[in-house]
Amino acid sequence: MAVDPVYLVQLTLNGITLGLLYALIAVGLALIFGVMQIINFAHGELLMVGAFAMSFALPAMGSLYWPAMAAAVVATMICGLVIYETLLVRLRPDEFERSILITLGLSIIVLHVVQYLFTANPRMVDTQYGFDGVLIGSIRITWTRIIGAVVAIGAFALLFVLLKHTQFGRAMRAIAQNREAALMVGIRPRVVARNAVVLATGLCGLAGAALAPIQLVTPGMGQFLIFKAFALVIIGGLGNIPGAIVSAIGLGLIESWIGGFFEIVWQEAAVFILMVVVMFLKPDGLFTRGGMRVG
Amino acid sequence: MKAVAIVVAALAFGLLPYLTSSNYILGVAVSAAIYTVAAAALNLIYGYTGLLSFAQLGFWGIGGYATALTVVTFGGTFWLGLLWAGLLNAALALIVGYPTLRVGRHAFVIVTLTFALLVTLVARDWVDLTRGPLGIPGLPAPSLFGFEFKTTSHFYWIAWIYALLALGFLYALGTSRIGRTLVAIKQNEPLVRAQGIAPMPYKLAAFAISAAITGIAGGIFAFHLKVIDPLFLDFYYMQTFLIMVIIGGAGSFWGVVIAGIALSALPEVLRFSSDFRMIIYGVVLLVIMLVMPGGFAGWIRQRRLARMRAALR
Repeated sequence: MAVDPVYLVQLTLNGITLGLLYALIAVGLALIFGVMQIINFAHGELLMVGAFAMSFALPAMGSLYWPAMAAAVVATMICGLVIYETLLVRLRPDEFERSILITLGLSIIVLHVVQYLFTANPRMVDTQYGFDGVLIGSIRITWTRIIGAVVAIGAFALLFVLLKHTQFGRAMRAIAQNREAALMVGIRPRVVARNAVVLATGLCGLAGAALAPIQLVTPGMGQFLIFKAFALVIIGGLGNIPGAIVSAIGLGLIESWIGGFFEIVWQEAAVFILMVVVMFLKPDGLFTRGGMRVG
Repeated sequence: MKAVAIVVAALAFGLLPYLTSSNYILGVAVSAAIYTVAAAALNLIYGYTGLLSFAQLGFWGIGGYATALTVVTFGGTFWLGLLWAGLLNAALALIVGYPTLRVGRHAFVIVTLTFALLVTLVARDWVDLTRGPLGIPGLPAPSLFGFEFKTTSHFYWIAWIYALLALGFLYALGTSRIGRTLVAIKQNEPLVRAQGIAPMPYKLAAFAISAAITGIAGGIFAFHLKVIDPLFLDFYYMQTFLIMVIIGGAGSFWGVVIAGIALSALPEVLRFSSDFRMIIYGVVLLVIMLVMPGGFAGWIRQRRLARMRAALR
């Protein structure tokens, strides 16, 4: 079969952008799981909140991309803080099922309240960059996609520095590795968990804000992505952040390639098949070398 | 005394078509019977065994589609379709359950969730088999030995008999040695292993049984609606089953059965718009999980224990 190389490169670039945005969501989930041993079901709704915040901030700020994105991230982080202080703080680390059900309740409420207030109609988001793009040879990529990818890479670099080289991040990794030992040296799990949740929701809001100009904004947009992010967290190994990033980019590529050559059913099924295969071959995730790691 | 009350209640439900001729009330009763069975099946895997399974939604949908396709596409009978629904789901539960349960209960929750989503996507996108978003309308009324279950009151018999059989089976299973082993696995898995019992076959069996029962319930419900499309896999159904289990009390057979019947009737009485109903479901889920994670049955048990302690003091 002859494959058009331009088409292939186009698919690959789309896949990388998509994968980077998946990674932003999956990393947040992995971070929260590493520190609190819980899964945040409402993560997809936080992404949607980020996207909606972007869609409201842009007209208010005269279509300027960066201030609007900052506003969306801050808004999502505040939501994260409120969620932590009102709900998640009551959970003990072993209450995994309870965490899912509580955040599931929250996600239902947020989704339907937003749907009720703003209707389920898709919203278009226009930025200062509009729908312009760059042409490399005969490959065309819109600026919003390029910026989305750059923003994601920047966020990962920042996260890496934060986790490896600051006291703030070291405390998070300490809690994830050994809760008791971390307690003994005076790290407060409550504060660290709050920081982790706010950081994770910030990343999620960033993903939502970056996605808003790329695709249509609907109240249900978070739901599709969150299932994939859950699967990625399993594939990469629960609580393993580099694993989540690598598998997210891998999934983005695989989905994009499959979508280019096969029927759409296979594109959606890819993530599930991948997950089951990984669980058969490496039950602890592709990138785990024994023990739970964050960072 | 308790046994007599249960038999009387079960028979009273069977007499419902003689008490009313309203198709609306009988329709609600069919939903109540089917939802209660699905909730009780979820209770087996979550309440007894402690494994939160979102795959119930997928099994429900597969059951519905398997039964509908057996009748419409492959020309089989409704009853053969139900058999397929049960067998197919049990087999799928084993295939999905084995690799997942090796990883642990965290992975189980996430994989079952992804499975449910996958089934929805397949129902929507595999147009050759499922006819995609258009669905399969006009499912024929089932018939047995020449008798056609045409009206809602006739159909109610099917739902009622299935509910009795399934709930009776689940009750017997729950009170048997197997049921006690499942509860032991939930409470302390290392101890179960130390007693020389391998938990894996028990977990897999619970998952497969709960899948088969949910699938058959889905098959019956699809023929009650007389149409099946991807909306049959709306997350609303999963939430309904979950709410029934959680309000009734995970791990309590009667708690879940009573909650199932009550919660099928309540929304009909209160008549909320669908968005508003979902918001209320969400709030109820959140509040119950925060305030009384054991549901009503757990709350009653705690009160009883507290009274016994007070009496002993």
